Amino acid sequence: MPGLTRRHLIKTALAGSTALTLTGCSLLPGKAGADGPQQYTGAIGLPGNRFAVGAIAPDGTMLWQSQVQTRCHSGCNRPGNAEVLFFERRPGWAFYVFNRKTGEQTHRIEAASGEHFVGHGVFSPDGRFLYAPANRYEPGEGIVAVYDSHQHYQRVNTFELNGAGPHQITLHPDGRTLIVGLGGILTHPDYDRIKLNLGTMKPALILLDRHTGDTLGRFRPSHHQLSTRHVDVSPDGTVYAAYQYQGPAHHLPPLVTRYRKGTYEEIDLGESVHRKLGNYIASIVAHPENDLVAIASPIGGTALIFDSRSDEVVAQAGIADCAGVEALAGGDFLVSSGRGKLVRMGRHQPASEIARMAVQWDHHLV
Amino acid sequence: MKRRILALGLISALAAAPLATAAASSEAAVSNTEYRKQWHSDIHSGYQALATQSQALADQAKTYCQSPSPEAREQTRQAWLDAFLAWQQVRFVDFGPVEKGNRAWQFQFWPDPKNLVARKASYLLRNDEPVTAAGISESGVAVQGFPMVEYLLYDQPFSNSERALPADHTCQLLTAVSRHIADNGATLAQDWKDFQSDYVEHAPYTDSTIRAAMAGLEILEERRLATPMGLRGNGKRSVYSADAWRSETSLAAVNASVRGLRQYFMPAFSTLLENQNKADLAGRIEQQFDEVQANFPGLERPMAQLLADDTAFRSLQSLYIDVTQLTALVNDRAAVELGVVRGFNSSDGD
Repeated sequence: MPGLTRRHLIKTALAGSTALTLTGCSLLPGKAGADGPQQYTGAIGLPGNRFAVGAIAPDGTMLWQSQVQTRCHSGCNRPGNAEVLFFERRPGWAFYVFNRKTGEQTHRIEAASGEHFVGHGVFSPDGRFLYAPANRYEPGEGIVAVYDSHQHYQRVNTFELNGAGPHQITLHPDGRTLIVGLGGILTHPDYDRIKLNLGTMKPALILLDRHTGDTLGRFRPSHHQLSTRHVDVSPDGTVYAAYQYQGPAHHLPPLVTRYRKGTYEEIDLGESVHRKLGNYIASIVAHPENDLVAIASPIGGTALIFDSRSDEVVAQAGIADCAGVEALAGGDFLVSSGRGKLVRMGRHQPASEIARMAVQWDHHLV
Repeated sequence: MKRRILALGLISALAAAPLATAAASSEAAVSNTEYRKQWHSDIHSGYQALATQSQALADQAKTYCQSPSPEAREQTRQAWLDAFLAWQQVRFVDFGPVEKGNRAWQFQFWPDPKNLVARKASYLLRNDEPVTAAGISESGVAVQGFPMVEYLLYDQPFSNSERALPADHTCQLLTAVSRHIADNGATLAQDWKDFQSDYVEHAPYTDSTIRAAMAGLEILEERRLATPMGLRGNGKRSVYSADAWRSETSLAAVNASVRGLRQYFMPAFSTLLENQNKADLAGRIEQQFDEVQANFPGLERPMAQLLADDTAFRSLQSLYIDVTQLTALVNDRAAVELGVVRGFNSSDGD
């Protein structure tokens, strides 16, 4: 690793005068998936309780940083279009639409009355319909709210989830099945983020038809307090979900689950690994080019990669406050942290810090 | 494992605050159960005091409602304050049995920007349906704790209304909520006792305990002081952003929380720092506690007065500065040196 002996300091003159330190190579590796945009967008925390959404280019410069009114969580790229969306952190009262190239905010769409967003969304393959999990908070019902980007993001449909606390959503490679992590936790915006039903949670991994809203599958974790939050799917259709356990910290329940060929199975990564995960997974990403799956736990300060064929952990690293994960072209992963770090991890090379910026990367990169 | 060590080694060479910090903390945390034994015992005495004072509040509320008098009402206020301050001392503990059933929120629902406490009170008192223990249990955290009792005992508009204490129905609410607090206090003390072996045997609870103190200090600095002082958000001073403004005990509560951290957190934490050759730092933290506490009891005044007058405000500023220095020593210096992280994402909960 000759590049590791020198550092490049690039000061950008962009908003917030964000200083970026690139260690190792001066180029970030490309993003996996040929059709995706070659940039990474994430929600950002700035000094003084200010918040933004920002994008970095493969050459490591901050492309843009756009201030938002409140802390955001995650978002999604609109296929076939230069838009990227970000959702306000739960309870999210709006999502923002940005021009992916310039960072210009083109829309701020507020949640419907009586609803709030939960931080995630996904588009239909043609980039027209946005599917955003939301909480109808008086009755405490989880829904997927459907918006039509061709009609200035008008609300056009609502799918019931028959449960509380939906979180991340993604689209199956069949182009039709929505995959939703239903956390099972009841909250109400009047009560901050208090979990109102820890004794009676009913979390689930839900498969939904995006045309009809029909539930195609519903899988319950082995314990009712395994809040099913984050989901991903590989190109072969294997579905992954990651839990956040709501019981005592000294318990070591399974934290990752897989649905493949009709079987829902929880994955045991071994006690010593589980001890490093703090019963909390913030992101799970299945690599589109191989059988590797990466997870990050900010509470455990640990990111790791396991091989989904053997369930062996093939790489792990202590990264303080790590949360965001992205798949990189070539088979590696990129992990971001609340301390502004970007770390590259893979099966065949040690974790290496490739950039450090004066921002707090919030949970997810898209 | 070999690969991981190599990775961390490489990166350590690069960076001042390397990736290795998280790993270092877990190594350190494994080493010793003695700190957790001490913490368990110290926090247990705090919880026992809370249980005792909460029981005394429940008894006093009952006595007052059986034969109301201005003196008995004053005694009830005092009993509320004693129990509330006992809670302030252990308020920093945000893990373990206090998480069960949102007990921490039950004791103190705050912040309450929508004034749910008042709204819930007027809802419960809207007619003469009897207030029952079961009703309180189902009413949500805004009803179940110290802020509701404070509202009934201190709220000025309410105290001038026809529903004011000792009206029958309001007395029922007062005694039922006080009873609920006392029951929670007793159960929490017992559950904490039963939690001993899990707590002592599981090394990660060292980090949990340190993080709890860090969070407690951050909330103290940011939300209990900086926000009402107008140093955050819209920049306006507002006593309504403080807790316990109705009873004008926001600052007495701050003092109690600082005292609680010193009594129940610091003994084991100092030992831990000393055993890691950080005795100087432990000494500086103890000294900074002295600095913060030197503001009291002089500063146990209604916060509204201090916010209203620029001269008086200076004494609040000086407390604030002392608290920020304490927070910096514990959260930035000590915790970082020990590799304990309370991060942007790790404290988010999504």
